[in-house]
Amino acid sequence: MTFQRHFLDLDDAQTPAIESLIARARQFKSGVAHATTRLRGKLVLGMFFEASTRTATSFAAAAYRLGATWHDFGAATSSMSKGETPADTMHTVRAVGADAIVVRHWESGYPHALAPHFHGSILNAGDGSHAHPTQGVLDAMTLVEEFGTLAGRRLIICGDIRHSRVARSSARAAWLLGAKVTLCAPPLLLPQTSPGWGFSELSTVLDDCLPQADALMLLRVQTERGDGTELPPFADLVEGYGLTEERLKLLPDHCIIMHPGPVNRDVEVAASLIRVQRSRIDRQVENGVFVRMAVLERALHHAA
Amino acid sequence: MPLDGGGTKVGRNVDFVGARVVDPSLALDGIRTVVVRNGTIAALLDRAPAASDTSARRIDCAGMVLCPGFIDPHVHLREPGDSHKETLATGLTAAAAGGFTAVAAMPNTRPPIDDGQRVRQLLRDSAAVAAVRCYPIGAVTVAREGRALAPLRSMAAAGAVAFSDDGACTTSLKVLFHAALLAADLPMPFLSHCEDPSFAGAVIHEGETSDRLGLPGSPSLSEAAIAARDILVAQTTGKAWHLCHVSAETTIGVLEWARAQGTRVTAEVTPHHLQCNDEMLSSFDARCRVNPPLRSVQDVAAMRVAVRRGTISIFASDHAPHSEEEKEAPLSHASPGFSGLEVAVAATFDALDGLPLATMVANYSTNVAALLGVPGGSLQVGSPADMTALYLDRPWTVDPTLFVSKGRATPFAGRRFKVRPAMTVVGGCVVFNAAAPTQALPAPAGR
Repeated sequence: MTFQRHFLDLDDAQTPAIESLIARARQFKSGVAHATTRLRGKLVLGMFFEASTRTATSFAAAAYRLGATWHDFGAATSSMSKGETPADTMHTVRAVGADAIVVRHWESGYPHALAPHFHGSILNAGDGSHAHPTQGVLDAMTLVEEFGTLAGRRLIICGDIRHSRVARSSARAAWLLGAKVTLCAPPLLLPQTSPGWGFSELSTVLDDCLPQADALMLLRVQTERGDGTELPPFADLVEGYGLTEERLKLLPDHCIIMHPGPVNRDVEVAASLIRVQRSRIDRQVENGVFVRMAVLERALHHAA
Repeated sequence: MPLDGGGTKVGRNVDFVGARVVDPSLALDGIRTVVVRNGTIAALLDRAPAASDTSARRIDCAGMVLCPGFIDPHVHLREPGDSHKETLATGLTAAAAGGFTAVAAMPNTRPPIDDGQRVRQLLRDSAAVAAVRCYPIGAVTVAREGRALAPLRSMAAAGAVAFSDDGACTTSLKVLFHAALLAADLPMPFLSHCEDPSFAGAVIHEGETSDRLGLPGSPSLSEAAIAARDILVAQTTGKAWHLCHVSAETTIGVLEWARAQGTRVTAEVTPHHLQCNDEMLSSFDARCRVNPPLRSVQDVAAMRVAVRRGTISIFASDHAPHSEEEKEAPLSHASPGFSGLEVAVAATFDALDGLPLATMVANYSTNVAALLGVPGGSLQVGSPADMTALYLDRPWTVDPTLFVSKGRATPFAGRRFKVRPAMTVVGGCVVFNAAAPTQALPAPAGR
């Protein structure tokens, strides 16, 4: 696999890059000999300025399975969360001798700001409302496992599109593999400019989208973004966009349900539907580890 | 240079010979000799006087366009309080190097310029360090906090040329309305920074780029709505009003409506809003953060049209210098603003290539003098000999490391422009000459 030092977003990503990451992740999933020595001696730092369960654990597991050492920097509770500049932060990290930093931050563009100050790899684990590139790839992998080729398949992403880094990355990754992507939300939660999202269609009526769906991805409302005045009341979301038993009947039988987590039960999806047969929510989490192994290997194995 | 106590520079006797003199206030465009006596324009002659006829110093201006001195109505000089960003000395010397004979200084210093004593202090301090004239703008409210009215009448008496809470709009309509009434009979205009405060967390224009990057944006609506509000206050109170750094096409519509109503309202545009759009931030470039934000390609085009149509009749640099550290990424950390004085004239001419020279000159001099009610803006006999000389075709490349200003962030770094200031003359004294540039000030420690 071609070496790529940083993994910041999918904004300029091309199809072959997504395909090769998925291919490698699937190899890891089916078992690769001596995987546990691939990154022996490498130090990977987790720097999570924002809470994370899934992604932090998943990256840690991926590092462990490749033989690298994972250390959580405790960024959220350190002095670094209190206005230290990226350059200052990187001085600290360089001194520790890290090979890669896995960064999550509430501000869009924060990993990009770190990148020029670090000799090693910056891997984005979610920046503000901008990008969550490993989530984008793992969602695409989950779709590929389900459907083989994505050409002509329709992915509906529903919920707080506007503030979701998952929507941005997952929509683009699936589109790069040939899927048709519809973003569905009330106008307040849709991007204001459709040309900037030229690869997808916008819709405000979920019930119209459901019969065409091959996969339905539900997003939670990002209550932590902005000052709260950007968000509709939960009642309006449940009313028009929550997946209920009733709405489930509108989906084709083969349609799968995805969610990047964490789930707001009975808002975007009824609690009773989270573990239904067509749900792939646990599969997404499982695939995440293998995708992150592929990403870590691509960033670090060249010097192993 | 001899100075009198009031800050006026007593010029020598000089004949500026052989320039193409462009003065929109006199509808003049022709080769003239400008005769200056005691710092004042004494005559405009078709032919140069014979050297034997005069003891005056003679400056050959062949190849230059000589205009009434350019006045920048919108600069941030940072002193007092933020001299790590800029000082009166560096800022006013940068103004001279940029072709400006005078600037109007916004009151958002620390402490802010919000009473008569501070207005007088700024006049004294600026006159002591530089030849370029510095006109104080007084705050509308105490500490620019939008609550208690500042002593507008005392500041006017002390020498304030306008009032503004720039950096923010005066949030309370009631407070702004009462401020306008307090000063309704005074000639000094109100200058509005049109940005609705509820969008204060924004770091970029709300549009295609902000949607792609997932950044909090400030929509054009934020500017246009406050512009409309302030224009209604102007209509209601009869106060002269001016909109700072207009950036959105929507605001132009509001302005045109106001003009049609006969409202006394003018507007300025900056070189960066005439040249740059939000795509400059497409890689999270924190150095390009500015308020109001760089908007869309369509907005930039609309600004150029608005100047051509005369809807916008004033240029301003919005010179807002910051230290290098303060312009570092990420965007939320970076201070908004550019170092504008030394590149403004070139960038503005470049954006509006083809506009009549008289209009360009008027927007930088005559119209600004009229707005602020200050001397200058004309080479009429008896006027102070404040003049800006330009080379219209002397290509140069913008290199911020050569700026006199302490601020180095500019969206124009590396750009090549044709127009270049040749000479800046204040009260008959040459305060900048491109042939022998102002000696660079000693770099502050740590730079």
